[in-house]
Amino acid sequence: MAKLETDSKLVQDYAFGFTTEIEDDQIPMGLNEDIIRMISDKKNEPDWMRAFRLKAFRHWLTMTEPKWAFLDYPEIDFQDICYYSAPRKPGEGDDVDPELARTFERLGIPMNERDRLSGVAVDVVFDSVSVGTTHQELLEEKGIIFCSFSEAIQEHPDLVQQYMGMVVPYKDNYYAALNAAVFTDGSFCFIPKGVKCPVELSTYFRINAENTGQFERTLVICEEDAYCSYIEGCTAPARDTNQLHAAVVELVTLDRAEIKYSTVQNWFAGDEEGKGGIYNFVTKRGLCRGAHSKISWTQVEVGSAITWKYPSCILEGDHSTGEFYSVAFTNNRMQADTGTKMIHVGKNTSSTIISKGISAGKSDNSYRGLVQILPSADHAKNYSACDSMLVGPDCSANTFPYIESENDTAVVAHEATTSSISEDQLFYLRSRGISEEDAASLVVKGFCKEVFKKLPMEFSVEAVKLLELKLEGSIG
Amino acid sequence: MSSTVMTPPQFLAGFDEAAFDACASGEASFICTRREKAFNDYGMIPNPTSRDEEYRRTDPMLFRMGRYARMPTIATGRLQKTRRWDEAFDVVVSITDHRLGLSEDLPAGVTVCSLNDAATSHPELMEGYFMGAASPEEGRKFLELNNAFWNAGLFIHVARGVVLEKGILIHYDVEAEHAALLPRLLVIGEEQSQFSIIEDYQSSHETPFLCCSAREFYAHAGAQVKLVTLQEWGPSVVHIAEDWARVDRDAMVDLVSLSLGGKTSKMTVGCTVCEPQANAYLGGLYFANDKQHFDQKTLQLHAAPDTFSKMLYKGAAKDKGYSVYQGIIQATHGSIGVDAYQTNNNLILDKGARADSLPGLIINADELACSHGATMGNLDPEQLHYLRTRGIDEVEARKILVLGFFEEVVQRVPHAPIQERLHDMIERKLGDTDE
Repeated sequence: MAKLETDSKLVQDYAFGFTTEIEDDQIPMGLNEDIIRMISDKKNEPDWMRAFRLKAFRHWLTMTEPKWAFLDYPEIDFQDICYYSAPRKPGEGDDVDPELARTFERLGIPMNERDRLSGVAVDVVFDSVSVGTTHQELLEEKGIIFCSFSEAIQEHPDLVQQYMGMVVPYKDNYYAALNAAVFTDGSFCFIPKGVKCPVELSTYFRINAENTGQFERTLVICEEDAYCSYIEGCTAPARDTNQLHAAVVELVTLDRAEIKYSTVQNWFAGDEEGKGGIYNFVTKRGLCRGAHSKISWTQVEVGSAITWKYPSCILEGDHSTGEFYSVAFTNNRMQADTGTKMIHVGKNTSSTIISKGISAGKSDNSYRGLVQILPSADHAKNYSACDSMLVGPDCSANTFPYIESENDTAVVAHEATTSSISEDQLFYLRSRGISEEDAASLVVKGFCKEVFKKLPMEFSVEAVKLLELKLEGSIG
Repeated sequence: MSSTVMTPPQFLAGFDEAAFDACASGEASFICTRREKAFNDYGMIPNPTSRDEEYRRTDPMLFRMGRYARMPTIATGRLQKTRRWDEAFDVVVSITDHRLGLSEDLPAGVTVCSLNDAATSHPELMEGYFMGAASPEEGRKFLELNNAFWNAGLFIHVARGVVLEKGILIHYDVEAEHAALLPRLLVIGEEQSQFSIIEDYQSSHETPFLCCSAREFYAHAGAQVKLVTLQEWGPSVVHIAEDWARVDRDAMVDLVSLSLGGKTSKMTVGCTVCEPQANAYLGGLYFANDKQHFDQKTLQLHAAPDTFSKMLYKGAAKDKGYSVYQGIIQATHGSIGVDAYQTNNNLILDKGARADSLPGLIINADELACSHGATMGNLDPEQLHYLRTRGIDEVEARKILVLGFFEEVVQRVPHAPIQERLHDMIERKLGDTDE
C-alpha cells in the first residue's frame, strides 16, 4: 500500500505524520475467537480475562453498527484489520529501542526518565502495547498505581475485576463490545483513599503499524477524597488508508473524589480530499459513585477522519458534579459527531456543558448531547451552551441536544448558537493593522478560550498552537 | 440506484387495500389518481415503530390504529347551527361526521369550498397545489395516510390583495365512536392577501376517535397568513397532524398550535421559507395533565438567502403528563443571511410529569445566525415568594405565574374571545388537582 508523499505541505499540516520503521510482532488479520485467544495468549492473561473477552465477542456478533450519527463513511470490514501489533523489543528504561525513543522524541513525548517533564508521569502506548511508564517510584510511595492495563491484569487482578466494565459494560454499544473483545492495552490508574496525586498522569497513544486498529482501555479509579488529573494525547502516521481506533475509558470516583480528564486528540485526519485518516469510535464514561464527587472532561478534538465520541458522566452520588468542556475542530473532509451525556441520578447533582465547534473546509461538525434528569434527581441542575462557528461556505455545523426531565424540582437550561466568524470583530482587528489570518486566529482562540483555560497549563499552550496550525490556510 | 429489495406494502391497521377500495366514490379523476399514488407511497413506507428516532418517545402503538374505521367522505351543505365565536368571523365552516357546513355570502375574492367542489370549480388551482410542493420531507407515513384516505377536504383561496378583517373559523366536531376523521386542508394566499384562519377542534366528552389531519399552506409574495389551531378534543381522542407551509418572497406565515385536549397527540409542523425576506413564525402552547401525551415536531427549512424564522413553543406538564418537543432549523447550502431562532420552555409542575426537549440545528451555510434555547424547570420560587409577600395565596400565585408563562404565545392569537378561552383552559387544568 502506497504511503502518502510526505511533501512539505503535508508535513506542515500534520507534523506527526511520519512512520517508524520498527520490527513489529503482528498477528494475522481478521477477527474470530481464535484471534481473541491469540491476543489473550500473547498477553499471558488469566482465565477470567479471556472469558470476559469471549463473552464480549459473542455479544458483539449479535449487535449491529450504530447508524444514527451524522456521519457518512464506507462500511468497515472488521476482518481486514490486524488486532494486535507490538514493537518486537520495546525495551525498558535506558534500554528503550533507539528507533522507538527517537519516535517519541520527535513527538515531543519523554519516554526516558532522564528527560521527563517535571510534573507529568507518562505511560506510552505504541500500537497495541504499552512501551513504558515513567515516575513509577514516586507514585508507588503514595500508594498510587499507574501502569499499563496488561500489567494491572497481572498485578492487580482484584481491582481490575472489581471495576472493569462497571461504567461501560461490554454490552454497552457496538464499539464498546468490540473493544472489550480485542483491547490490547491502555492505562490503569488507582488513587487510594485520601491521596491527591502530585503529578499529572498522562498516556500517549501512537498508532504506527499499517492496517492495524488500536483498541485500548483505560480505567481510572479515585477512592474517597482522592484526586487526579489525567491527560491523554494521540497521534498516528499519515497513511492513505483508514485505520480504526475504538477505545473505552472508564472513570470511577468515590465519595468526595475528583478526576479531571483532559484529551488532546490529534489522530491523522486524512488529506484534503478526505483520503486516509483514523476512524475514532470511542466510549468514554465516568461514574460519580460517591457523594460530592466530581468528574470533569476536557477535550480538544482536532484530528481523526471520523469522530464518534461522547464523554459522559453518570451522576449517581448525591451532590456530585459533572463537567464537559470541548473544542472540536474539523477541516477538509473531516466528520465529527461528538458531545456528552449527563445522567442525573442523585439528589442535588449538577452538570455543566460547554461545547465549541469550529467547522472549516468541507467538513461536518455535529454536537450531540443528552441531559437526562431521572425522577430521583431532586434539585438537579444543568447548564449547557453549545456554540458553533462556520469558517467558509461549504462546511456544516449541527447541534442535536436531547433534554429529558422527569423531576419537577430540576432546572435545565440549554442554549446554542451557530454563526460564521464575526465580520465586525475581524474588521476591528484588521483596522488595528492585524493581518486577516492573525485576526481570524485571534477570534477563534477567543471563541475557544472558555475551554482552553480548563486544560492543564502546558497542555493548554499546546492546544492553542495546534489549533493555530490547523487553522492555517482555512481562513481568508 | 437504490438496492432495496421490494418488500410487500405495509398498512396501518384499519387502513389497508379493502378500506381504500371502499373509499372510492366518483371523485374527479385527478383526485382519484392522487389518492392512488398516495396509497402506493403509503404502503411502501414501513410502519413507524418506537425504534425510529422520531417515534422513540411516542410509540405508534399508543394510537391503537385498529380501533378506528374511516368515515365516508363527507358531503357539503349549509351550516346547521351556530357555534361559539361564529359572529366574530367573516366565514364559518363546520365539519362534523356527516356534513361539511359552509356559511353563505362569502366576501369577494374568497373561495371556501370542499376539495371535491374545488376540483370542479378551480381545477387549475387544485392541480397546481393539491398535494404539491409544500412537503419537504419524504417518507412520512401519516401524511401519506391522509393523502390517500382524507374524508373531509376543505379548500381556501384568498385572491390577490384581499384583506379579510375577521378571518375564517373552522369548527370540527365528531360524535361517532371509533370513527377516523381525516381532515385535509389546502390554503392558498395570493400576493398581498391578508387573512387568518382559526381551527377549533371540539368533541363530546367520552367519544374515542382518531383525527389524522394534513394541511398545506401556500403564502405568495407579500401575503400575511395566520393559522391558529385550538385543539380541545375530548380526553379519549388520538390526534395526528402533518402541516407544511411554503412562504414566498416578503410573505409572512404565522402557525400557532394550541394543544390542550386529546389523549395522545403527534403533531408535525414544517415551513419552508423559500424566497428572500420570507418570514415564518411557529408558535406553540401545550399543557399535558392527567395522562396526556403531546409530541410535537417542528421544521424551519431555510432554502434561500435572507430568510427569517422564529419559533416559540411553551409547554407545561402536570400530574402524569408527558410532553415532547423536537425541532430542527435547517439552512441549506448557500442560504446566507438567514436569521432563525428556536425557543422551547417547559414547566414541570408535578412529580411524575415529564418533558423532553430536542431542539436541533443543521446548518450548511455561513454568514448567518441560527440559535436555540431550551429550558426546563418548575415555577421560580423567588417569583412565588414575591407574590406571596403581596398577600396572594399559593394557588393564585401559581396561577398568575403559569398564565404569565404562556402569555407570549396567547398574544399571538388575534381574537380576544379565543385568548380568554385559553386563559380559562389553563386555569381549569391547573385546578384539576387533588391537592
